[in-house]
Amino acid sequence: MEKSDLSHHILSRYNDDLERVRTNVLRMGGLVEEQLKQAVQALVEGDSRLGEQVALGDQKVNAMEVAIDEDCSRILATRSPAASDLRLIVAVIKTITDLERIGDEAEKIGFIGSRLASVERPADRYREIKHLGRIVGDMVHEALDAFARMDPEAAVAVAKKDRLVDEEYESIQRQIITFMMEDPRTIRRGLDVLWVARALERIGDHAKNVCEYVIYMVYGKDIRHVALEDVEEHIQARVQRNRGS
Amino acid sequence: MNFLRGISPTGWKALIKLGIALFAALLIGLAVGHVALAIAIVLAVVLAIQARNFLRVERWVRPRHLGEAPDINGVWGELVASIDRIQRRRQYHKARVMELLREFRRLTTAMPEGAILLGPGNEILWFNPRAAEWLNLRRKRDYGMRVENLIRHPSFIEYLATGRPEEGVVVQEPGSSNRWLAYNVVRAGELGRQLLIVRDVSREMQLETLRKDFVANASHELRSPLTVISGYLDALAEDSKLDPTWHGPVLEMRRQAERMSLIVSDLLELSKLESGQRSSPETTVDIGGLLAAVRKEAMALEQRPEKIILTLDSDALLRGSEPELHSIVSNLMTNAVKYTPPEGEIELRWWTDDEGGHIAVRDTGIGIAPEHIPRLTERFYRVDAGRAREMGGSGLGLAIVKHALQHHDGTLTIDSTVGQGSTFVCHFPTSRIVQRSNVTELRQAVAE
Repeated sequence: MEKSDLSHHILSRYNDDLERVRTNVLRMGGLVEEQLKQAVQALVEGDSRLGEQVALGDQKVNAMEVAIDEDCSRILATRSPAASDLRLIVAVIKTITDLERIGDEAEKIGFIGSRLASVERPADRYREIKHLGRIVGDMVHEALDAFARMDPEAAVAVAKKDRLVDEEYESIQRQIITFMMEDPRTIRRGLDVLWVARALERIGDHAKNVCEYVIYMVYGKDIRHVALEDVEEHIQARVQRNRGS
Repeated sequence: MNFLRGISPTGWKALIKLGIALFAALLIGLAVGHVALAIAIVLAVVLAIQARNFLRVERWVRPRHLGEAPDINGVWGELVASIDRIQRRRQYHKARVMELLREFRRLTTAMPEGAILLGPGNEILWFNPRAAEWLNLRRKRDYGMRVENLIRHPSFIEYLATGRPEEGVVVQEPGSSNRWLAYNVVRAGELGRQLLIVRDVSREMQLETLRKDFVANASHELRSPLTVISGYLDALAEDSKLDPTWHGPVLEMRRQAERMSLIVSDLLELSKLESGQRSSPETTVDIGGLLAAVRKEAMALEQRPEKIILTLDSDALLRGSEPELHSIVSNLMTNAVKYTPPEGEIELRWWTDDEGGHIAVRDTGIGIAPEHIPRLTERFYRVDAGRAREMGGSGLGLAIVKHALQHHDGTLTIDSTVGQGSTFVCHFPTSRIVQRSNVTELRQAVAE
């Protein structure tokens, strides 16, 4: 049903424009996903070269953001989109900002990872960070899937995971503080790892934002600062009504 | 009277029956005195029979699934039989097509690979259950979606865009499964359709990593004990108090230890090249100077061919890593020296043309039989196992050459005739060639 929204234009060029913007956002998303994954890998495996590579790769993400942004402005200026098309463009402009931030956080992790490669590694080999990184990576992936499919139900499911990320972050924080109190020599490393955990937690928030834009795009509802349960109820009601009619 | 010709025997029979009935009606009518009435009654009866048959056939044909055919004689019976025949044939074909379709679905489900059919705009037209499982696709929901919206890995998108289907691409699945998937695109008929084949190569990738790690670790671990052994052997060989009967064995042990450390260092170098680690940054390398240095090293050897010629047809520079380029040339040189008799000759040549730069190492040695050439760059591949061992060498030289060339976007071609000699040529693309004038300009620009 959402697909027909994009295909009803008589101007097929207009259609192509919208489709291209959407595909480019997802391409940018793919790049960001890969950056995030490599950044965590660089830290966990102590691969300083990979970390540097991630830090350099952020330029590509930034370039894509600028290109998509320009494309959106051009479409706004020349086509004056309305209704769902306008919502798509607005959602895209917001989404790329969040993706770019995710890229920045990944860059930060890559940089810290390359620095920590030369420091003695902790006994648990950053297991907690790896775990958190996997949850957050899944969130980004699923948020982009929800964007591609314009699937609000999936978007809510991803947004709910953000709480899990917050809990994990809390527990890592407590753990690191304990380590630092036990052995003050690990404070420097501990602070770095804390920064990484913080960056991952922020990435989770950005992924949640992307999900909110998906819901906005499909229903035209702004669900920022609204309890997730209410949103879920609302979507359930919408789906029921659609099935009924 | 053309229309009469197409009438079937049953048709004739029906016409004759009608004729007889009308004739009988005429006779009876003449006898009774009401000819018109008699004929009218007969026609009415005939019409009633026809109408009844017509309605029966109509009732039989109307529903989608035909039931038992009505039992009618004459022309109507023939009509019923024809319809029945067509219907049966159609049902038979339909059943066959359905069976084929079911078979196809069973096959694609059982396939160990994932398959996705893509339209001209890379939109998903169809996929099998395996692909759905690996890539988390859902029927109906994802039909018509562009595939790069769902498989977003940068390498995959690049592969799809370049349109070089032979190569394929291996990417690690994002998300928690950590599965390695290999994608290959196959053209599927006309209309610009493509079939995307997905294979799970996690096991292969694991084994490959395991192998690389093992080689790197093992050669590293072997090095230190070898150094100790060589050191003591060196001391022993120089020891004047050593029993003379031990001189031969100690020298032999020293030679073998040297060979072993050569193999280990080659293995280390190869594993470093394979892992993509750069030993040194890229600079502009003066190939003329590099070739001259390699020639000088070879001239210093005791056993070498009489003539080693250096031909420089270009003074262009090559962008690359100097140690790796040196390793390429010296490995080729070592081989040439080993397999060329003292009265033979070796030529080193560097030239550039429209296709790029080329380094050739030509010898007049024993040559290589054509069946060995494709396998020469495999590690430890020996043309003649006995002789190669006698000559020494690790069996890794050409593997190192191949990997170092790959780092420089280069290729190796081998041309050889048994008994006459071999020519090994390294080709580098134009993008790596730097003309000397440009360098001076560049230096000037920097200086200013």
